[in-house]
Amino acid sequence: MAYRVRPAVVGCAIRPAITARNRSLEEIIYDISQAALADAGLTIEDIDGIVVGCNDQFDGRAISVMMASGPTGGVDRDILSTPSSSEHAFILGSLRIASGQFRTQLVVAWSPTEVSSMSEAQRLGADPYFHRALPLDELSAHALQASALNHVWPNAWVFAETVAVKNRRHAAVAWPDPPARPAAGPERWPLTERLTTVPVTGAVAMVLAGEPFVAERDFKHPAWLRGMGWATEAAFLGDRDLTAARALVEAARQAYTEAGITDPTTAFDVVEITDATPYAELIAYDALGLAPRATIAARMAEGWFARGGHLPVNLSGGVITFNPVFCTGMIRIAEIANQVRGRAGLHQLPGAQLGLAHAGSGFAMQYQSAIVLGAAQGDVS
Amino acid sequence: MELLGRQEVWNITYDHALGETASYFFTQIRDNGKIFGRRCAKTNKVLVPPRAFSDETLLPTTEWVEVGPGGRIEAFTFVYEQFNNLPEPPYAFGYVLLDGADTALGGYFKGVDLTNPREAAEKLAIGTRVVTKFAEQRKGDVLDFWFEAG
Repeated sequence: MAYRVRPAVVGCAIRPAITARNRSLEEIIYDISQAALADAGLTIEDIDGIVVGCNDQFDGRAISVMMASGPTGGVDRDILSTPSSSEHAFILGSLRIASGQFRTQLVVAWSPTEVSSMSEAQRLGADPYFHRALPLDELSAHALQASALNHVWPNAWVFAETVAVKNRRHAAVAWPDPPARPAAGPERWPLTERLTTVPVTGAVAMVLAGEPFVAERDFKHPAWLRGMGWATEAAFLGDRDLTAARALVEAARQAYTEAGITDPTTAFDVVEITDATPYAELIAYDALGLAPRATIAARMAEGWFARGGHLPVNLSGGVITFNPVFCTGMIRIAEIANQVRGRAGLHQLPGAQLGLAHAGSGFAMQYQSAIVLGAAQGDVS
Repeated sequence: MELLGRQEVWNITYDHALGETASYFFTQIRDNGKIFGRRCAKTNKVLVPPRAFSDETLLPTTEWVEVGPGGRIEAFTFVYEQFNNLPEPPYAFGYVLLDGADTALGGYFKGVDLTNPREAAEKLAIGTRVVTKFAEQRKGDVLDFWFEAG
């Protein structure tokens, strides 16, 4: 895909788990939007358009963007929403910059936990004909995927446990305050409580700008969008090979082609993967071309994906330690943007130049996206 | 300061049209205790549950094909939480590739004691042959049928 204008991330804000009830959802959205603008050193007057990613069922607000237009700064401004996923809000915002029609975009996503049952809210995502009468929520779908993977890869459960330990160790560095780390989640066979995490409230926002605006305002450390791709799996789980991620393979192909990456095993300094469960991280290693399945055991044995390893994955601790469900995809992108901007905080990888964010969402990762961000602008395709 | 909350309960009823394809599927289950899929003429795949068109080719499907009642397990899980308007937990559910079908059908597994998940998982191991059972009183719903090993 040819960009008329190369987009960059110039501001980021990620809220750790929000447990206090002293701010309403609209106030949380206001806070995160202002925090991202402040991180960019901009005001809403500098913003040409807004894209929000939000989920009506979780928010308890039909067409949730209606109530979000005020706190994001969308009144009398251009504002759109992507109910499919938070990462799609980032993609749409980036495309609007790339079109050359917008200098800047504010992208915001949030995920509250005010509904009595996240599982019931998610079950509304299943079709009402064949699947609504099943206990099918996102965790069930991930569990079905895990059971399928265990069948074709009998040691997968061992590696899943190792991934969970790795990400929890990373989280201990990234978020040392214990209350910020949510408790383990419920069990769904074969997912033990160590392999799941309870949903928490969270929010994330990013400010995007095109190359001319970055030059005009002299941003010192933008995260340049080097490539991105996205694709969607079949809606019915019974139509899919749950042991693989065809859509992610396609998304990665698009992103790597744009970014000029020929060997993903060595291209990146740092990676964030949407580990809705550790099994999803294992599937992503293969689908993203970071490690073919046959090599994963050896790679994990030598700490390849751990802090200090050849290719650290989820230095933030990943979703298994911070699970604001609808935000998790966009948070992966914001984490990588912060890494290549040198602003990742306690879990900063020194000198990170090129990073990969995997954003997946929906039942057993129906939506798959791959985003490559770099400290250097790279060739304009 | 005192922080307030506001609890809301919405009770909205939807009356979803099933269309001809899903209606035939469920009336066959209700009236005859049989499961049918739809064949895509281009790929020859039999889609279960049936679709009026193939997601893959975007062509209308052309033929009803009876599938099952036997099949093999493709994926399964156990759920211990209560879901609204569903049977009492724990649940075992998953996907079964019925004989003659090319896509797997979601449904419940019964006849397995879920007290010990590890032992139950061995009885529902992926690849295990199952047979579709039908309730005596059927209303045209996914809850009219289930799968049992052996």
